[in-house]
Amino acid sequence: MTSSVGDVSVCLQRSLRCSCTDMAVDITLLFKASVKTVKTRNKAIGIGFDSTKDEIFKRSRPKSGFSPKAKEVITNITKLKDFLLQHRKDYVSAGSLISSDLTRMTDNERDQIDQDAQIFMRTCSEAIKQLRNEAVKQVTSAQIKEHRGAVLDLIEMYLRGVCKLYSEQRAIRVKRMVDKKRLSRLTPEHHSRVAKTLEVEPTEEKTVKEESSEKSVSEVPNNPVNLWEEGRVEDELSPEEIQMFEQENQRLVSEMNSLVDEVRQIEGKVVEISRLQEIFAEKVLQQETEIDSIHQLVVGATENVKEGNEDIREAIKNNAGFRVWILFFLVMCSFSLLFLDWYDS
Amino acid sequence: MAASVREKQTVALKRMLNFNAPPLKNTAAEPVWKVLIYDRFGQDIISPLLSVKELRDMGITLHLLLHSDRDPIPDVPAVYFVMPTEENIDRICQDLRNQLYELYYLNFISAISRSKLEDIASAALAANAVTQVTKVYDQYLNFITLEDDMFTLCHQNKELISYHAINRADIQDTEMEAIMDTVVDSLFCFFVTLGAVPIIRCPRGNAAEMVAGKLDKKLRENLRDARNSLFTGDNMAAGQFSFQRPLFVLVDRNVDMATPLHHTWTYQALIHDVLDFQLNRVVMEEGAGADPSPAGARPKKKNRKTYDLTAADKFWQKHKGSPFPEVAESVQQELDSYRAQEDEVKHLKSIMGLEGEDDGAISMLSDNTAKLTSAVSSLPELLEKKRLIDLHTNVATAVLDHIKSRKLDVYFEYEEKLMSKSTLDKSLLDIISDPDAGTPEDKMRLFLIYYITAQQAPSESDLEQYKTALLDAGCDLSPLNYIKQWKAFTKMAATPANYGNSGVKPMGLFSRVMNTGSQFVMEGVKNLVLKQHNLPVTRILDNLMEMKSNPETDDYRYFDPKMLRGSESSIPRNKNPFQEAIVFVVGGGNYIEYQNLVDYAKFKQGKKVVYGCSELSNAAQFTKQLSQLGQK
Repeated sequence: MTSSVGDVSVCLQRSLRCSCTDMAVDITLLFKASVKTVKTRNKAIGIGFDSTKDEIFKRSRPKSGFSPKAKEVITNITKLKDFLLQHRKDYVSAGSLISSDLTRMTDNERDQIDQDAQIFMRTCSEAIKQLRNEAVKQVTSAQIKEHRGAVLDLIEMYLRGVCKLYSEQRAIRVKRMVDKKRLSRLTPEHHSRVAKTLEVEPTEEKTVKEESSEKSVSEVPNNPVNLWEEGRVEDELSPEEIQMFEQENQRLVSEMNSLVDEVRQIEGKVVEISRLQEIFAEKVLQQETEIDSIHQLVVGATENVKEGNEDIREAIKNNAGFRVWILFFLVMCSFSLLFLDWYDS
Repeated sequence: MAASVREKQTVALKRMLNFNAPPLKNTAAEPVWKVLIYDRFGQDIISPLLSVKELRDMGITLHLLLHSDRDPIPDVPAVYFVMPTEENIDRICQDLRNQLYELYYLNFISAISRSKLEDIASAALAANAVTQVTKVYDQYLNFITLEDDMFTLCHQNKELISYHAINRADIQDTEMEAIMDTVVDSLFCFFVTLGAVPIIRCPRGNAAEMVAGKLDKKLRENLRDARNSLFTGDNMAAGQFSFQRPLFVLVDRNVDMATPLHHTWTYQALIHDVLDFQLNRVVMEEGAGADPSPAGARPKKKNRKTYDLTAADKFWQKHKGSPFPEVAESVQQELDSYRAQEDEVKHLKSIMGLEGEDDGAISMLSDNTAKLTSAVSSLPELLEKKRLIDLHTNVATAVLDHIKSRKLDVYFEYEEKLMSKSTLDKSLLDIISDPDAGTPEDKMRLFLIYYITAQQAPSESDLEQYKTALLDAGCDLSPLNYIKQWKAFTKMAATPANYGNSGVKPMGLFSRVMNTGSQFVMEGVKNLVLKQHNLPVTRILDNLMEMKSNPETDDYRYFDPKMLRGSESSIPRNKNPFQEAIVFVVGGGNYIEYQNLVDYAKFKQGKKVVYGCSELSNAAQFTKQLSQLGQK
């Protein structure tokens, strides 16, 4: 008895030290101390609760399948999130031109990650839908239904958050790819553009170099031409032809540039549009459920109206039939009166 | 007070809902779901602070009243937020026996006594549920915060601590003690949440002094108890941003009886006076107006609409203290700016339509996609803005209807003149006998204010004249009996309250309003401009905060819970003016005083003033209490 009292006092002392970070006082230990006092008091009085037996044969509450399944879905989504976060750095480091990192991923790996993530997200949303259907089918109280609906909403929001992570990553990757492509094309563009705009000596040299390189390029196809056309020698390329080739080259280059510009712009816009489309799709899906419910209501209403019409038709018929009977009855009565009158007289 | 009381209370609630662990900042954290069970007190505390959506975001799937029928929901932890009363404890024990939930987190709004804790312990033992009771906390949140700087004590059973309950003639000592204890308990919780120990000043000889004495004793006991003090640790770190302790001024309602009856002119006070406004929620009837329904048809059902006026509503925060005509104009302005933005978005739609038909217009899309993105992302904001504008339009229209039908502007002007003792241009009898100026209640209020502010009591014949006029108008005269008693009492006690000089200038507004093309046609309603004036409570606060010497306040008691010995003196030890103050009115408060204090705080930069009252009553409720008192 004394030891338990000692325990209780120790518990009390420990319990009275409140946690200073929050203003509320944690009296859990005080509660546990009072549990002990009640136990000892009950033992002293002699009320046994047979607690040991009950603990062994613990009344198993109906373990519904809902909660563990929901928890499973959450753990899966968490796994996906961890996976994405883990590989995020490698995934996104596509922009570094310095290929010093050994952990740099190849594009194939990135595509693989994209695919896997998408499949995973799809299975998760399927699982949520399945849980929802099951919850609706199960006959439970209204509160439990509401609770389960809210739980599934929470899980969906969580999944959406993780999907956003993924789509952000992907958007960054696409952008970097586009930038990289633009960067890799910068050198020849730069030369040609410089040739067009500036007329400074060094650029002329560059253009001369370019011309020479282009000449060498054009020489190669010319050489078979030379072989074909006998008697044609290199230095016989007249300045007009050189100029013509130059101009053609320049025209081709400018065409390619403009195409590349347009394509780049389109890529950027497509990314933006895909983001917008996501938003719209979400809204449309929301509206879908509403439209479904409206449809149901309307169908119900038309059925009710049809039934109403039927009822009215029947009522009219009954009314008419009733009138016929009354007429018949009256006619019969009058005939019977006439008959009786004739009979009596 | 670096963070306002409302923020502190919200943070405490959120932490409680997060199983008493500080909430994580990580937005993509795993959801943990729980069920929230509260009683009516808990509901009143939570509803002005957290919306249902915020509860859902914190993982609360269901929120239920303690005393409703609840079904067992296995595998779910439950957070309880209740007062430690007998019925609540019994219900919790019943829940434990019925094994409704998986885990139980019990949070008591104010401190629970040892014996009740043992009741729960025995029930938990009987139900074999001791391991399920995971945490038990005393939250010390027994007060309702309505605004950043306004709080009230209770809403549910406010008749128990109302002005009527405190000033009844037949009150017993035990009942008075009980009332004082509830008030002191809530004030104690308030200071624990605030994390500061104030210096208390109160007038002598009334309920306020009793409350101050008890509060001082309770704070002192708690501070002495070094192991268990609630004011040590990190709490003080938060409060130390201001090196001074706040000043806590306790006043009794009797110091100023005219203000609760006054007709008002500021937006928030008008809503409280004229519509059903409780816990930041307005309930209005909408729809069918005064049109008689056609014969044979069923009467049109009026639907009731509820609107929440919250801290997130920027228009409300800006204009809740403005005079009503200003509010009307601002609503119109907001509506115009919203329409302009809406037109922009629609214009964009037409641009997109045109471009869609044009081939090779890809380059033109560059601007438009950017515009489209910005428009789409701003759409939710626009929708929210529209909803708020609709809300305020409806509320302001309803208030305006009341003003027009009861001619509240006339009353307001007249009362202001009465309270500032300036010359009256219309006789009181005229207004009272005017059949279409206001309800009988309005007339009674006006007459009571006249009676309270008159330097000498009106002569018997005058009084009879007024009484007959009032009875003709259909008023109930019992409040007058009580006010007579009160006046006699206060005349004996001290100098009557001076309401300061207030000027009321009607502005020539008819042309101005018509020029703005306002939807609120305020023809015939005077546009009254309030001049800065101080109500008695504000003046008392000013004297005490600035350490000015004034015959009214020199006699006030001085309590400092941190001093070793309580003293009876009224000489303040601290000679510096205070930077923060909390004003508490025992016996009922109202929005007019709150607005006045807010204006005063704005006028004196750098000072923070928090207003509290034991209960919020509008003029109608206060008049009812007075009539109950006068009937005895």
